[in-house]
Amino acid sequence: MKKIFVMFVLLMAYGCNNEEMNTPTAPVDDTFEPAQATLLSTGVMMGNAHTVSGTATAYDNGGSKTIVLDPFSTQNGPDLKVYLSTDPNATDYINLGPLKSTMGKQSYPVAGMPDLTAYRFVLIWCEQFSVLFGKAELQ
Amino acid sequence: MLRLRILLLAVTVMCVTELASQAQGTTSVHKFTDLDFGAGNTEGTLVVSLNIDKGLGQKRKIIIGFGGRFNAYLGKNQYFVTAPAKLTSGSTGPGVIFKENIEANMDTFLVKSAQLNSLNLFLTLGYNLSERLMVRFNIDLIGFSFGKSVTGNYINGTQGKMEGASPTSFNLLLISDNDRGSLNSQFFARYLLSEKWGIKGGIQFLFSEYTTDTEVQQFPEPNDRFRNKSLLFSAGVSFKL
Repeated sequence: MKKIFVMFVLLMAYGCNNEEMNTPTAPVDDTFEPAQATLLSTGVMMGNAHTVSGTATAYDNGGSKTIVLDPFSTQNGPDLKVYLSTDPNATDYINLGPLKSTMGKQSYPVAGMPDLTAYRFVLIWCEQFSVLFGKAELQ
Repeated sequence: MLRLRILLLAVTVMCVTELASQAQGTTSVHKFTDLDFGAGNTEGTLVVSLNIDKGLGQKRKIIIGFGGRFNAYLGKNQYFVTAPAKLTSGSTGPGVIFKENIEANMDTFLVKSAQLNSLNLFLTLGYNLSERLMVRFNIDLIGFSFGKSVTGNYINGTQGKMEGASPTSFNLLLISDNDRGSLNSQFFARYLLSEKWGIKGGIQFLFSEYTTDTEVQQFPEPNDRFRNKSLLFSAGVSFKL
């Protein structure tokens, strides 16, 4: 039985050797210009078991909505996405795309015309492992 | 559904018992109990099976057989995708095996901790290379699945939501994506170290399937079945009964 257990552990060790999809760490500085858009709501980013800080702001930019993270900084992780969600648990969400960088100003166009009073949480979400890194409640 | 499960279990037990009884006093029939572990990328299986093999031909080298198999699957952060052939291939005929997936119809259900169990009846084909060395291919035909309910991330392009799901209860081998439920197949070599004990090595190809609590996929038509396909390295031990 001991041999069987060792064989299983070796097989699992072989199988678990996968690459992680980490987010780029080079600071970014997006060209989105807040002065040419209408501020809708804003919230402070807070970490959730991971270090995340900054501000998330929703703008109306000529009829389309955009979420801007500025300033922004997060601990790195695999497969980080930006979600616009109805709650911090991503029960119902819009995926704004992969996080562009762990640091710096970055903007994310919002597809469609969601009601931001319903989709009022900006989440930094590790999709692969279903882990919330940080959140901001837009108010 | 409970009646169906009991009926399937009864049929499986009857088939295995019947073959076992035929095996008495017949040298061309051999029975093995196998214990296998399968491992892949953050996923694995524990498989316990009863194999009843019958040798065909003058030298009894060609093997056909049946068996019963318990599969326990454990996966971490596994992506299950739209399962029904009607959606994945646009049709349900035998030709689905040659068709490419229709990507626009494929949605994803991401499960953080997947755990599914199945009890299936399987068919075996094989060849005995020598008295001690044999190769086998087997595939699950019918059975049922059970396991804990989970909450997963349903991903449809830029939209998503958290949704509950349970293992698809009924397992049935059809053709390619027409299959239902959780079905395993194995290709392996077995080497007998002694009269009773042997070791095995090979691969497993496992279909695992969840049914969501609601028809969470709505385009191009409502769907609640999501499948994960796993290719696993497999190793184990055999005991000759």
